Amino acid sequence: MKTNVGSGDRGITSLLSGERVPKSHLRVDACGEVDELSSVLGACAAALSPAHTDLQREIQGVQSDLLHIGAWLATSPGSPTRQMLRTISPGRLREIEDAIDRLEAELPPLQSFLLPGGHATAAWAHIARTVCRRAERRVQSLAAEAEEPVTESAEGILPYLNRLSTYLFALARYCNKLHGVPDTTWKG
Amino acid sequence: MKTGRVIPFTTRLRDRTWLSEKAFQVALDRPGGFRFLSGQSIRIVNGPAERDYSLACAPDSELLMLCVRHVPHGILSTFLAEAPLGTSLTFTGPHGYFLFQNSSRPPVFVATGAGVAPFFSMVGAGVSGFTLLHGARTANELYYEMHLRAASALYVPCLSEGNAAGCFSGRVSDWAAEHLSPRAYDFYLCGSREMIRDVTRLADERFPGSLVHTEIFH
Repeated sequence: MKTNVGSGDRGITSLLSGERVPKSHLRVDACGEVDELSSVLGACAAALSPAHTDLQREIQGVQSDLLHIGAWLATSPGSPTRQMLRTISPGRLREIEDAIDRLEAELPPLQSFLLPGGHATAAWAHIARTVCRRAERRVQSLAAEAEEPVTESAEGILPYLNRLSTYLFALARYCNKLHGVPDTTWKG
Repeated sequence: MKTGRVIPFTTRLRDRTWLSEKAFQVALDRPGGFRFLSGQSIRIVNGPAERDYSLACAPDSELLMLCVRHVPHGILSTFLAEAPLGTSLTFTGPHGYFLFQNSSRPPVFVATGAGVAPFFSMVGAGVSGFTLLHGARTANELYYEMHLRAASALYVPCLSEGNAAGCFSGRVSDWAAEHLSPRAYDFYLCGSREMIRDVTRLADERFPGSLVHTEIFH
């Protein structure tokens, strides 16, 4: 796949459905947030040692989901292109929930607020969590303010981002545990 | 999980036809269960090398056809140019969203070189009545001209080098700038990065309200 170069030099870009829109368009903005989330997840995976390839693969699975979500967000409602796009299935949501349960089973119960940080992988996972929440807010804005019917955009995407934030919080704590770094609790 | 899994298909190189000194068409056996829509591509995998090629055949074609530009020292195009017939190949797909969509705006297809492949596939699926700006360096590089001309409402061969009877001398973007009436269109652009940049810019400036679908050089 080759990347397009130059047609957006003047601040206008194409949606996947073909419309030319300013790069400040809410739909482009939402795609950008999802892209940023994927990039931060990439940093998290890269910081993991080769001993944790299973976790890296799990993160790459999420990055793959995010590409599909980005494609959906980059396509106007009503466009025939939407019929070609994959949405997040209920089965995929259950996989994320199962992953949350798997990670949390390895962790002590949470007694207090945590200060994000610790091992570098955990710090990246915390950043990913906050970017994920921002992406979720942008998608919600798109649903509320643009032409996107809530039911359509919520078809998998909003529940997925909501679950993913929880997963990333658990992942951050798990990464600290993996590397023998205790979570730092908030002393108030 | 519904998203993200890519299933590889295995096929064999059935035939190869040189279309010009710089491009050739290959025919691949169609694996069972492989379906695609006109405008989509497949990704040929050969060891660490992967390249996307648009399918240049109708969705119900018995064989899968690719139009390949032979890139000097290009890993995949050289492999496809030289591999003995019968060679086993792996590909994934279908990929891409470069699909024709009916709308109230007149469709304008713009192709350069081997970028004409998805339009040939669309014609095979019954798409017709479009304007096609077909760009090439020389007349012998206007691949699939006869079929495309027959299905077009307006077929404009544009030669960036040299002249030929019935051909516009200049780039496709030059023709569009000089002759396309001001209104909104559905542009479908497949070819070189430079063409896509130029025509997209033209669409922004001269044809507001247009949709621009792009696919870079497959």
